[in-house]
Amino acid sequence: MDLVRELLDNQVVDGRGTRMGKVDGIVLELREDGPPRVAFLEIGASALAHRFSPLLGRWMEALAQHLGVSDGQPLRVPPSRLTEAGVDLRLDLDCRETSAMAWEGWVSRKIVRRIPGSGW
Amino acid sequence: MKNALKMLLGIVTSFAGFIEVGSLSTSAQAGSVFGFQLLWALALAVLGVAALVEMAGRMAACSHHSLAAAIREHFGAHFHAVPFLAEMLLDLLVLAAEIGGMAIAVRLLSGTALVFWVLPAALLVWLLLWKGTFGMIQNGVSWLGLVSVCFGVVGAFVVALVRLHPAWGEVARGFVPSAPHHHPARYAFMAVSILGATISPYLLNFYASGAVEEKWSEKDLMVNRFVAWLGMGFGGMISMGVMAVSASVLHPRGIDVDSYEQAALMLVPPFGRWGLVLFAASLGVGCFGAALEIALNVAYTVAQALGWNWSEDLAPRDDARFCLVYTAVVALAALVVLSGIDPLRLTLLSMALTVMVLPIVVFPFLVLLNDEAYLGGHTNGPLGNAVVVVIVAAGFLMALVAVPLEILGG
Repeated sequence: MDLVRELLDNQVVDGRGTRMGKVDGIVLELREDGPPRVAFLEIGASALAHRFSPLLGRWMEALAQHLGVSDGQPLRVPPSRLTEAGVDLRLDLDCRETSAMAWEGWVSRKIVRRIPGSGW
Repeated sequence: MKNALKMLLGIVTSFAGFIEVGSLSTSAQAGSVFGFQLLWALALAVLGVAALVEMAGRMAACSHHSLAAAIREHFGAHFHAVPFLAEMLLDLLVLAAEIGGMAIAVRLLSGTALVFWVLPAALLVWLLLWKGTFGMIQNGVSWLGLVSVCFGVVGAFVVALVRLHPAWGEVARGFVPSAPHHHPARYAFMAVSILGATISPYLLNFYASGAVEEKWSEKDLMVNRFVAWLGMGFGGMISMGVMAVSASVLHPRGIDVDSYEQAALMLVPPFGRWGLVLFAASLGVGCFGAALEIALNVAYTVAQALGWNWSEDLAPRDDARFCLVYTAVVALAALVVLSGIDPLRLTLLSMALTVMVLPIVVFPFLVLLNDEAYLGGHTNGPLGNAVVVVIVAAGFLMALVAVPLEILGG
């Protein structure tokens, strides 16, 4: 499998089909007795920012911690959770229970809720 | 029946995009300075945009992906950052021009200062996005489009044209590219601005996102083809009408449009003082529709690039980041207008910049349209590829020469 072409930057949807992010990073595990294999898919702004510049990645992490959004680490999903790999990648989990929606929840609660007519 | 309705809606929505500030001002200015001589540039631009819109809709129907999402997936985040940032900047400038256009329409009618109307215009755009759904906005834009088309634009510009008895032979000659008798740099810049006003990147991604929102599938390819070609074709005819009226009224009187007040004069000889009202109403309605589409497109583009869940049909609490993006961009665009930059100059400059950015947006898109992973059996044919490459490349080369000359000269 060509990891960069078929996994990296592809759309990830959860078990219910909700778009939960893109594959922002891939963590490889080096093994003595075989070729490296995918340990985790990373989903989250800090992982994406890190690819552009490590400084930007740390800044995103610190921002998430400072605002109390999350611990700043991207969500790590083992490839065993992957149920379908086409143009979109489907995972057998519920995005509402993961940190992939931490920013969404924070923006909704802290900003959008204060504007009239938001549906809150 | 449902398909017919879908088609009508789509066609009207897409030609509402031709009455907005960019198309109206470039056509008016080109007609006033060069008469009918730039009609060929408009025809070429309409051919290009119709081909591209059809492709964007086809990709959305076959893959349920818009181009913003697909370019990151296929080419990677680093490559994608360039067209992404370019499109964000352009959308901001064009949105500012549209909000400015709405404010100018009110100024033309009321005679009050522009600054009073910028914030109400921006607020109106935001409010409709915040409370509305995709279907409501699309229906709203198309009803507005339909009303303005019946009473305003087609009525005004076509009737005006018939009343004015232009030299039809001269009109026909305008469709053949010819060297200008004066101001060659200006001529090239106007041709580039016409291309940029017509082939708007926001239109492609907005149209594709709409097709994804409406859950188009391969069954809708026929509807897509009709909507793209008829919508863009009718829209192009409106722009040609504007250019021809301007060429018949302003050009012989030596009026060179350098403000919206002057452009509005073009409907005065055929309609008397009602001409001004018609012009302002067409401008206001067209800009309002376009502003909604651009602000929504910015949110679509960001959400698709980052993989967020997105839909204009969700309440803001369930789609918080998406709604925050359009809120921020509408506020920012209002600030750009309030900074006091001349709205007509801002419009013409962002149209010309569009053409310079077009290759980095369009060429990756063409690669995807030839990829079976996205299109299945509906990839581009050689003719479609060739038409788009030739128009975009020719526009870019002209822009490379004309834009620096205009900036230095202006």
